[in-house]
Amino acid sequence: MKPEVDQILGLSAGQLMGQLAPLLPNSFAIGGASLLGVMMTFAAQEYERGADIRVAENGDMRALFRDAAPQIGDAELKVMVAKAAATEDRSLKISMLNAENTELRRVLIRLQAHAEEKGLTALERRIWDLLKESADRRLLRLG
Amino acid sequence: MSDDITARLQTYLAKKLEQPALHVSDLARIPGGASRETYRFRARYGDVERALILRRDPPASLIETDRTTEFRAYQAFHKLGLPVPEPVALELEGAVLDRPFFVMEEITGCEVASILSPDPYASHREKIGKQFWSVLGQIAKADVAAIGLSDFEGARDPKEAWRHEVARWEKVIDEDEREPQPIARAAIRWLKRNPPPPAQKIGVVHGDYRTGNFLFNASGDIRAILDWEMAHLGDPLEDLGWALDPLWAHGDPSHPAGLIARADAIGIWEAESGLKADPTALAWWETFASLKGLAIWISAACEYAEGRNTDAVNAFSGWFCLAFHNKVLAERLSA
Repeated sequence: MKPEVDQILGLSAGQLMGQLAPLLPNSFAIGGASLLGVMMTFAAQEYERGADIRVAENGDMRALFRDAAPQIGDAELKVMVAKAAATEDRSLKISMLNAENTELRRVLIRLQAHAEEKGLTALERRIWDLLKESADRRLLRLG
Repeated sequence: MSDDITARLQTYLAKKLEQPALHVSDLARIPGGASRETYRFRARYGDVERALILRRDPPASLIETDRTTEFRAYQAFHKLGLPVPEPVALELEGAVLDRPFFVMEEITGCEVASILSPDPYASHREKIGKQFWSVLGQIAKADVAAIGLSDFEGARDPKEAWRHEVARWEKVIDEDEREPQPIARAAIRWLKRNPPPPAQKIGVVHGDYRTGNFLFNASGDIRAILDWEMAHLGDPLEDLGWALDPLWAHGDPSHPAGLIARADAIGIWEAESGLKADPTALAWWETFASLKGLAIWISAACEYAEGRNTDAVNAFSGWFCLAFHNKVLAERLSA
């Protein structure tokens, strides 16, 4: 089996931080190289999980929009939410998933503000649950 | 390039310090954040050898900060006897070193904690902790007019301090977000709906008082509070909320800044400042701190993504720190 990208990045980061950085001539260079190593470990994590996170998050937002649309009194927002619920991820490229995610987040912000204004507490709760889960998924591990 | 800086710095300082024979040597760049380029160097004249620091504006800054503010804060608090490096010279024109800069004393023989280190203070945790919260209390206690900083940017009206800061950081998010930020937007709405009580006083807010922004020596003495570039006038609880933020806790928010227990930290701050850390007000400022963090990280991500400042610190801030504060705020606001 060939080495996978996350393995290559992880091992390269270890070599950069553990073997090469200490050989550099000053604290600025050592610090800079070490931080680049940390960024490589983040990139390794994201390589493995990036598409999965975005597909899950986009799916969660669409499901929430489908359930929320009937409760929305504001006609313009209702249409916007229903439209967003009907979209789909047409590619697993990160750039395409990000583009979908951006549009869905815009709608989510409008919907959350509306729920707060109208006192739709069950909807607010569900949005916060989604946001908490999203924040959890996107957290990066240092070790 | 560093030879070029050395020669120009030597010419400048010789004139500025009225020491025609002044000689600059050993110029070396050191880590100092993404908002200034930081160099250490030596200046020799007569029998004097001075260890100095050069802080120069980068081509683009993480947050547009005023180096005059930073320099004047160093002047004011150095004069007051706080552990702050002595400022030496401020140059606002780009003619000397292409960009504005200032020079200050280097505090030698010290280290600075990395926020990634699990236990940077080790056996000195207690000793450093007492000093850290005490110095913050002293900053809060300082009389703005008496130390000559009444004209600093920020709020003048204690009732408006919170509003001024929310507006400031909301503007940063408006200008720099490259993708919608639902948690930041929800936090802004929450902060506006639930304002804190008026500030007990208008004081100097350091703006970035935290672990990683002070120097300590091998005996566990804090020798210098650094990075005053975001200093402004406002509610002293703003600094307390920022210093207590979980991002700076080295993994243990019950011991903020990786130092002593939270209740002890707040007790020391209250005793030193003469102010009360009302729990409701402090909770608001802690929520604000995480929102302010998000704004800074969003700005860092923007600088990096748009190629204006590709220092890896900006990539780290715009990714790791952003994700961290999104989680902190989501948990806090959904509780």
